[in-house]
Amino acid sequence: MEGKGKGKGYIIGIEGLRELFYLLSESYKVIAPTLRDGLLVYDHVKDFESLALGYKNVEGPALYAVEKASNGYFTYTHPANSPKAFLHPPELRLMKVKRSDGALSFEMERVEEKYCFFDVRACDLSAIKILDRVFIENNSHPDPYYKSLRERAFIVAVNCTNKTSTCFCNTMGTGPEVKDGFDLLITELEDSFLLEVGSERGEKMVSLLEKKERAEERHFEEKERRLKDLKDSMEEFFEREGLAQRLYGKMDSTHWEHIEKRCLACTSCTQVCPTCFCFDIVERNSLESDCSERVRLWDSCFSPSFATVHRFNIRQSIHSRYRQWLMHKFAYWVDQFDSFGCVGCGRCITWCPAGIDIRQEVKRLAHG
Amino acid sequence: MVENPYRLKASRIIRVIKECEGVYTFHIATEEEAQFGQYNMLYAFGRGEAPITIASKGEGYLVHTVRAVGDVTRYIDSLREGDLLYWRGPYGNRWNLEEAYGKTLLILSGGLGLAATRWVFEEAMKRPIKRLIHLYGSKDYDSLLYKYLYKEWSLKADFRAIIGTSHPQWKGKTGLITDLLRELDIEKDSLVFICGPDPMVKACVSLLKEKGIEENRIYASLERHMKCSVGTCGHCMIGPYFVCKDGPIFRYDLIKEYFERKEV
Repeated sequence: MEGKGKGKGYIIGIEGLRELFYLLSESYKVIAPTLRDGLLVYDHVKDFESLALGYKNVEGPALYAVEKASNGYFTYTHPANSPKAFLHPPELRLMKVKRSDGALSFEMERVEEKYCFFDVRACDLSAIKILDRVFIENNSHPDPYYKSLRERAFIVAVNCTNKTSTCFCNTMGTGPEVKDGFDLLITELEDSFLLEVGSERGEKMVSLLEKKERAEERHFEEKERRLKDLKDSMEEFFEREGLAQRLYGKMDSTHWEHIEKRCLACTSCTQVCPTCFCFDIVERNSLESDCSERVRLWDSCFSPSFATVHRFNIRQSIHSRYRQWLMHKFAYWVDQFDSFGCVGCGRCITWCPAGIDIRQEVKRLAHG
Repeated sequence: MVENPYRLKASRIIRVIKECEGVYTFHIATEEEAQFGQYNMLYAFGRGEAPITIASKGEGYLVHTVRAVGDVTRYIDSLREGDLLYWRGPYGNRWNLEEAYGKTLLILSGGLGLAATRWVFEEAMKRPIKRLIHLYGSKDYDSLLYKYLYKEWSLKADFRAIIGTSHPQWKGKTGLITDLLRELDIEKDSLVFICGPDPMVKACVSLLKEKGIEENRIYASLERHMKCSVGTCGHCMIGPYFVCKDGPIFRYDLIKEYFERKEV
């Protein structure tokens, strides 16, 4: 993950990509985009043929479809779920507690999966870095579960050469170009893939790869050109500079109530968000009541029980819950973790059943 | 290898005091370092955890006062001397007592909030505080906590309690804590520590402001929903703050924006 070896590049073809995939599969549990139930999702992929290469996701507010692309391989943008689903799983047992003769014994859960995320886009890579701050770097009690999974994870990043209508990584400053935080980086070119190395681990992996050639200057130029074309085609929805401060001044805006008319408080946005980290801890008990598991479950600030003090929910209205979510993403987060909590992946727009477009809401609030 | 923040410790309960119906005080044997204002997460097997303020500290033990309001606290209140209590902590920040040196320290406690101010109050008696006043409001006589300490407290500080409804055994005043506060003569440069229900805190702050005490001289200990206590579960957020780790004690001017605004 460190910057060592960065800038070095290789050119590989589809066979080289296949070889790389199987090389990674020998040491890691490969998590990659694949098709499942009509969706493009991150899942454990064992066969190169099961990758979603050559498909594309069509997204819009409350709209989603997967189609076959006319040409190319990394033709989609990102899967419906995100690496969060593996590094901070929706359900994770923290410990098993056993009771015998009135005394308790604790068995702390160890999570030791070695994941390789094969195809992480700039937005999701930024999201991982944000979660690193929440769970490890800006936390005086680093989370051992997240840390263990994160440290073992190998990251193959991919530069986007396509976008969907809900993408706004350029507005958030997280993409479309992957700049750091990867072990290997792939950019699809006209008739090959440019493979760049971002860490010693990545270097080691590439050294085992047989089907490769040294990249030339023209390959890097093609990469730059492709990324520039994509970036130039993306709209800037709002200004990041001073955004948090502008939003702090809009906490009493009537616009929140306007959003409430559409928001169903269904929690969909927080589930698909690659950075939403909130969780609950619940007890799962055996019928014999001699064993109880403490389980961490994703929670959502849209849930009616989320901010309950003595059975009274502090955020009764839906607009106050939406405000909590949006303010956290674009204002509170900046104070808490020195970055936005939004990476511009657009998932919350796509998966909002009411098609609420956060780009428009932020724009209206901040500039309205 | 990082330490697992969810790991629980076991401590023997060495003393149980019944404060009133449904409220018990526990002395748990531990050498753990803790500071006034901090809290622990107390665990009940199969039920979960609850954040409970550390009410006091003695030689080799910590004190917790627990009101049975939910599954976890009902279980804890069923524990007796010799039983084991499982917990993790301490968490959170402490009262900034040093800021009151040479000045007047006013402590305002409402209901069970007294558990969060008792330790710092007792500690303040030993520190160079010019004038130490503690106003305590309780809804009725039967809900009063630590009755056995009032005599000693009254000798060492200006301790005044008020209850919501009259009672044959009560010689003191009846009313609200704000009634005591309203009639109090107090210097503008006093320091104030508050712990009580949100509406009480708001009412007291507005009275204090009338008396010329600025918001940056007022500290409040807040209560919010907490699951992790280490700033990752998100439940306790109030504006940009995590009550579990940035608090539970906040200088009032810093949280005012969020605390006073509805549904933040």
